[in-house]
Amino acid sequence: MKKSIIISLFSFLLLIVTLTTTATAYSTPDSIVAAGKVYVSGITYDPAVFFPGDTGTVTIQVTNGNNNSGVVVNHATLSDKNIRVTSSPYDSSSTIGPGQTRDFTFSIIADGFVGTYYPVFSLSFRDADSLFDREMVQIDDTPIEFTVVDKPDAFAQGKKKTIYMQVANPRKNTIRNVILDVSGTEVNPSPSRIFVGDLDPGMKTPVNFTVSPDTETTANLTVTYSNGDNPHVITTSILLNFGADKKEANPVVSNIQVKPDVGFFHITGDVNNAGLETANTVMVTALSPAVPQDPYKCYVVGALKPDDFGSFEVTFAAANTTSVPLQLSYKDADGNVYNSVQDVALPKSGMSSQTSGGSNLIPVLAIAGIIVAVFVGGWIVYLRRAKK
Amino acid sequence: MKPKFLDILVNPNAFFKEAMQENINLKIPALIILVAAVIGAVYGYVYGGLTAELMSTGMPGLETVILAFAVIAAFVSVFIFWVIWTAVIFLFSAVFKGKGTFKRTLEFVGYGYIPQIFGSLIAIIIALEYIPRVVIPHITQATLQDPQLMQDAIKSLTHDPAMLEFTQISAIVTIVFLLWSANIWIFAIRHSRELSVRDAVICVMVPVIAFIIYLVYNLTVM
Repeated sequence: MKKSIIISLFSFLLLIVTLTTTATAYSTPDSIVAAGKVYVSGITYDPAVFFPGDTGTVTIQVTNGNNNSGVVVNHATLSDKNIRVTSSPYDSSSTIGPGQTRDFTFSIIADGFVGTYYPVFSLSFRDADSLFDREMVQIDDTPIEFTVVDKPDAFAQGKKKTIYMQVANPRKNTIRNVILDVSGTEVNPSPSRIFVGDLDPGMKTPVNFTVSPDTETTANLTVTYSNGDNPHVITTSILLNFGADKKEANPVVSNIQVKPDVGFFHITGDVNNAGLETANTVMVTALSPAVPQDPYKCYVVGALKPDDFGSFEVTFAAANTTSVPLQLSYKDADGNVYNSVQDVALPKSGMSSQTSGGSNLIPVLAIAGIIVAVFVGGWIVYLRRAKK
Repeated sequence: MKPKFLDILVNPNAFFKEAMQENINLKIPALIILVAAVIGAVYGYVYGGLTAELMSTGMPGLETVILAFAVIAAFVSVFIFWVIWTAVIFLFSAVFKGKGTFKRTLEFVGYGYIPQIFGSLIAIIIALEYIPRVVIPHITQATLQDPQLMQDAIKSLTHDPAMLEFTQISAIVTIVFLLWSANIWIFAIRHSRELSVRDAVICVMVPVIAFIIYLVYNLTVM
């Protein structure tokens, strides 16, 4: 028993001596010098700046600065208490040739709070000591900015209105796949989904869409984007309330003059835009009971800027009526058509009054008859008296 | 005793009785006709303005010609009508074996135009009141080339309410002053053609009433 214990103890000591002798067998001054010329030449975080909880990768580039000797590395790892490494460390031996660069990529999760961290990269050489390197990484929770640039004061049922938005990136890294989704009950957005794409740091891009609400409702705006491979979302909403738009175009018809033509009426007038927005494709025409006639069945005034005016003339036939409705229509910037109707009194002449002449003659005939009768009667009486 | 000028209007019988004693003198009647012609020309200018404005929309520049024609026609027509009217009465009086010269008849009929001067003045005042209210239809070149459209344009003008009212009132004024003139012409023809009062009345009133019927008929067919 005692003999076997002595043999085992001897064997263990022999093994230790053997291993120790093997390990230090390649650690020479030359290999140490060679390892000293190996350095971290680059480091790339994806994403460049993390949100708290984001996953990503870090790629560390190690370059062998020697001209004629390679180095053998056999272990690489990354460690930090706020940056959790989820991938395995590099455990196998490999050689980095002279002048060559090798990437070491680790998957990480930004477990820490907002701040700046310095994970430690460690690389072990077979024939020399290890290489240590600290590289900065930031965790930032600043979201992208999604703001309303301009929108109508009020909306109208079924009328298309444009909402002008803007997406801006206040972060220090590029965000990708920015997409805007517009939704809501009876909002009828167009388009309902807008792909913006990548957004570089400090950059902004306009995002416009239209809504045609059927009722007073709320438009829900959702912007999704990716920070690296991590999806993020911000949401906002816009109340679509109905009412009069204070800035909308307001064409007003004035200086109306009606002239009866042969077989039809001829109306001339002016249209002034009393609103604050441009009235596009302003048109004037007469409605029933008027029947529009050539040459001006419908007069296109064109676009009227605020405080601008244009003249129009329309021709139409109208029988047995004292007034006709004059319709003025225009389009706003979104193509919505607005109509306004105002009655225009017709002069009592032309075709409508041609039948009224006969009845007015009755008193004239009566008066003429009476005058002649009195005159002739007077003479008859005079002659009879003269005869007597 | 020289006849008083006022007697023409209030006592034409006495006036013409006295005038028969004088030589035939056409100066005063011609002067009366001249005044009536000038007033008629003014009336023609006012009334012709309607036609000129109507035509000017289709043929710009034509309004001056139309106005000039209206003024000249109105002026000349009074003189022509004086002669024609005298001839008509003269011929009627011939049926009743009237005596006296045409020149004397022409002279006496000319005096009968004095009420026409008043009538024309009143007609001008009425025209100035009503004609600016008449809405003149707009006509084009195409209208001028289409007789039916042109007829419609004139019909539209004549059926304008203001125009209708003006036409009717001026017709009544014309009838009243025509009868006043007729009263003078009865005594004028009686003395100039040496007729009885009854024959003179017939000679004058037949064409006068015929003219009034024609005037009223024109109103009814408008």
